Amino acid sequence: MDSDPIRHLITPGLGSLFLFSVIGGVFLLLSGDDSFSDLATQMMINTVVVLGLQIYIGNTGILSFGHIGFGAISGYAFAIFAVSPSRKLIQIPNAPLGLAEIDLTPFQSGIAAIAITLVIAIIVGLALSRSGARSGSVAAVVITLALLFVVHEVATNWIDLTRGGKTGLSFSPFGGNTLQGSYPIILLLFAAIAVARLFKETRAGRLAQAAREDDLVARAMGINPAVQQMIALLLSVAVVAAGSAMRVYEIGSISPRLFFFDYTLLTLTMLIVGGRYSVTGAVAGVLVITAGKELTRNLAELDVDGFNWFFRDGLTDIFLGAAMLGFMIMRPAGLLGDWEFDHWLLRRFKGAKSPVPVSKPTIMTSAQLKADSVSVRFGGFIALDDAALTAKGGEVVGLIGPNGAGKTTLLNVITGLVQSDNGTVLIGSNSLTGLTPIKIARAGLARTFQNIRLFPALSVGENVEVIRLVAHRHRQGKEMPSTDSLLVKAGLWDQKEWRASELDYGNGRRLELARAAAAGPDFLLLDEPTSGMSDSESIDMIAQVRTMAELIGAGVVVIDHDLNFITGICDRVYVLDQGRVIAEGSPAEISNNPLVLAAYLGEKA
Amino acid sequence: MTELIQQIIDGLGRGGIYALLALGIAVIFGVMHLINFAHGELITVSAYSSYWLFSIGLDWWLIAPIIVVVALVTAVIIEFVAFRWVRGAPDFTMLMTSFGVHFLVQALFVMYVSANFRQFPRPEWIFATFRVGQLNLEIYDLTVIVITLLTLLATYLLLQRTMFGISLRAAAEDFDTARLMGIRSNRVIRSAFVLSGVLAGIAAVFWLMRSGQAGPTAGLSPMLKGVLAALIGGLGSLSGAVLGGFVLGLVEVLLISRLPSSIAGLTDGIVFLLIALLFVFRPQGLISVKHVERV
Amino acid sequence: MLGIESLTTRYGAITAVRDVELTVRAGEIVCLIGPNGAGKTTLLSTISGLLKPSTGRVVLDGNDVTGWAPDQMLRSGLALVPEHRRIFADFTVRENLMVGGVTQTASRREQLFDEITSLFPILKERLYTQAGFLSGGEAQQLAIGRALMSDPNVLLMDEPSLGLAPVLVDQVFELIGKLREGGRTLFVVEQNAQRMLSVADRAYVMRSGSIVTAGPAAELRGNEELFKTYLGRSGGAA
Repeated sequence: MDSDPIRHLITPGLGSLFLFSVIGGVFLLLSGDDSFSDLATQMMINTVVVLGLQIYIGNTGILSFGHIGFGAISGYAFAIFAVSPSRKLIQIPNAPLGLAEIDLTPFQSGIAAIAITLVIAIIVGLALSRSGARSGSVAAVVITLALLFVVHEVATNWIDLTRGGKTGLSFSPFGGNTLQGSYPIILLLFAAIAVARLFKETRAGRLAQAAREDDLVARAMGINPAVQQMIALLLSVAVVAAGSAMRVYEIGSISPRLFFFDYTLLTLTMLIVGGRYSVTGAVAGVLVITAGKELTRNLAELDVDGFNWFFRDGLTDIFLGAAMLGFMIMRPAGLLGDWEFDHWLLRRFKGAKSPVPVSKPTIMTSAQLKADSVSVRFGGFIALDDAALTAKGGEVVGLIGPNGAGKTTLLNVITGLVQSDNGTVLIGSNSLTGLTPIKIARAGLARTFQNIRLFPALSVGENVEVIRLVAHRHRQGKEMPSTDSLLVKAGLWDQKEWRASELDYGNGRRLELARAAAAGPDFLLLDEPTSGMSDSESIDMIAQVRTMAELIGAGVVVIDHDLNFITGICDRVYVLDQGRVIAEGSPAEISNNPLVLAAYLGEKA
Repeated sequence: MTELIQQIIDGLGRGGIYALLALGIAVIFGVMHLINFAHGELITVSAYSSYWLFSIGLDWWLIAPIIVVVALVTAVIIEFVAFRWVRGAPDFTMLMTSFGVHFLVQALFVMYVSANFRQFPRPEWIFATFRVGQLNLEIYDLTVIVITLLTLLATYLLLQRTMFGISLRAAAEDFDTARLMGIRSNRVIRSAFVLSGVLAGIAAVFWLMRSGQAGPTAGLSPMLKGVLAALIGGLGSLSGAVLGGFVLGLVEVLLISRLPSSIAGLTDGIVFLLIALLFVFRPQGLISVKHVERV
Repeated sequence: MLGIESLTTRYGAITAVRDVELTVRAGEIVCLIGPNGAGKTTLLSTISGLLKPSTGRVVLDGNDVTGWAPDQMLRSGLALVPEHRRIFADFTVRENLMVGGVTQTASRREQLFDEITSLFPILKERLYTQAGFLSGGEAQQLAIGRALMSDPNVLLMDEPSLGLAPVLVDQVFELIGKLREGGRTLFVVEQNAQRMLSVADRAYVMRSGSIVTAGPAAELRGNEELFKTYLGRSGGAA
């Protein structure tokens, strides 16, 4: 994406075409036989809906039970518009707003249905972001489940509009319309595959994935997950809505049951079994689960002596429940994990790229970071007591002190993760006091974490790239080195395609540093960059931090316990003890200060 | 005024059942951070057991204690078969596992019994009413309230005064430290499921007395009510769950009596919507549970 | 009594404890000092069973107890006072102590409860206070008292003076002295090295996951080299 966004989309595009042809192939194969043609159409519709789920659940990690509720809204809106007025006068003569007289073509109705569903999706999306939805959050489960449930109840009870639960609203008394082999479904299928696959590569998609991997780090790096989650939601709801309208058209009628728990279970199982992080996985999930369903349906009709307790009606439901449960217990990432066909294609047919020349260092920032009279209490415990710290561009400032002295708390106050009771934080002339971590990151501070926090499921390159995307928009004044040159500088070029979770510890630390640098900050704040490193790794880290800071023109504030590292890298050092700054000066002054010795080793008794 | 008192009594009757369910859900959440969407399956299994016990001619007096045991055993089996294997897994995995159990149990009943609901006789005597002043009281409501309060009192004493309860609460507060104190993970989690099973069993007796039917989806509604009540109470908090149950019961009764009849069918939906709104504005529930992330 | 043989613990890619050997003999106070991130807490977690070692052995009273769960370790006579105390804040002081005695019979538990409350008079005054309201020093006494409720043969302590005001630090060391007189075997991780060395019999110094120095506490104490070993790297200029 560095130089040529179009080229970046070529392989995902090709991958989409491939997936489309696989589904298309299965479809053609099945349509040859009359008894399977309905199944083939159903499968295509399900693929569209599951891809819709994938766009949201896969990229954001937020578990939504509400998408089929959106499907119900779309399905009803579609049916109410598209059923002919004469049929409506029989079924829902008292529909409000004169809906009974409206006569739209299926295409117009579909568009209208998607539009209406999107309006509801915006409201639900706002509610989700207000609740602080993130990967695995309970609030999101409750809100989406409420949507599914409420839509179902309204559909069941608002008989004037929906004809209620028993019979449902139908196009004709004689069964469904047929979509078999028609262009709309084929086009929609292709569109859904392409949208889902390409969304993963877009800015919004990547930022959403970063927040999925670690919400807190994403915020501390300037990503506002709420925005990306909303985009993902709207896109996914549009796809689900389109698929659901088709489903209603194909079946020829709609009742509340059609879009409730059963369909939620079916589509979620397909997604999860296939692999929710992968578009290829979502499609594979549809194929596998459809095949399994058909197989168990046929098995259920078998008559084998001694096995009739097993081969009987209901076997398909058992299969679905067992598939979901089994995968959650044994292989929670699904069949394919995050494997994409086109990634494989890319690696297979393209040799290793040679690294680009490393960019020239950027002009050093002229800003100054200043924290003044910062105090923090946790309950009765005084974590920081009137602490202060100043760092200039081009300077490396150390922050040392015994365990529990308040070093990380000070860093957390500066980056907005902890609210101070008292005190100010300034960068240049801008006050950062009281701002959110997102805004502080965008104002020019980037940090690493004591207990190393990468985006584990993203590749090494993506870890850096995604933060560079943030910098690209929010740090426009800053001239930034490319992702590749950051990786080369960090010594991680050869591991670019690795998953971040596969890195060893030292490389993980280096990646965290490169990722912070990619944010284009005026100051890098490093929390124990050498902890857990071997002696030689820790010496290397001195040069590593210095070159990285020079490359992006940033000052550095670093916490560490290793005095060799601190003396080797710092221009100035602050010593914290029990929340107070007890000494400040050059590393040489500090190591000869008796107060520091006492703080570290305890007073001699 | 009389009307309001009447409604409060009705609400407490309903709420008592919800409180028992919610307490079981909160106990399990406490020790394993799992929202048990399969809690309703205890009711489903109890419902089919009641149906079967009726068909062999037993009476409610005998069926009630048997159901409590059935719910207990079912809870332990579900823990052993499914939840044990996802202990400590990411939230997403645990949520989907509990839904998986929910759907699988439902499917088993569809396969081996029927997708249709089966009726069994309700104990009509318990729905008899008597008048106190202007109030029209159902024996049922009073029984539910009394038994619920006794059960809650017993649970309270169990949790506060016995080593069993102290261990359970310790594990709910800090699982690793509890292990350091010598508390066995398997045993304490199993005991949480035993307790939640017993509470669900008592709730099931009352629920089934009123519904008088068994079906694969019989547990759906009680599960939702229990989860919602636990959510109102903040999930981790046991007293919050009990309070949440009573609040939910009262809100429901007040809604039913005040909503125009044309949308009375939407009561459940409205309650759900209210709780979703609660989450939008107070994601930590009515009673917040401290959660500090160390960085 | 407690023996650690070439123990290595990894968290994913991190090797937090590397080939550690140490012994604690009955009746001794042994301390483990070293900078933050050296792997001290990981070592204690591995010994107490919260983490599984990758290689190596943990031997307690001559039995191989490698990989045992924390409750099994406790039942075999080894208790840990965890870092940050980790008392049950919603519980009363009394209940906290009761949890500590969960493995004892009821009568033995009462007996231990009496012994420990007389050892910690402050706790006795506050039996029905919610533990979350205790001051740092009281909470530390409670954490130690809670661990003693299992009547352990070996008591591990992780940073008992962490986050305490100087006066309270004195109390903690007084307490360690008391336990020593009571004949307990202690293995203590502590950052207040000078103070700790003055009460300990022997000491180990840990850095980057390995033991770098070991010896009698008196010898290490006041050793100028210690400061360098502690905070810097070997061969460094600090």
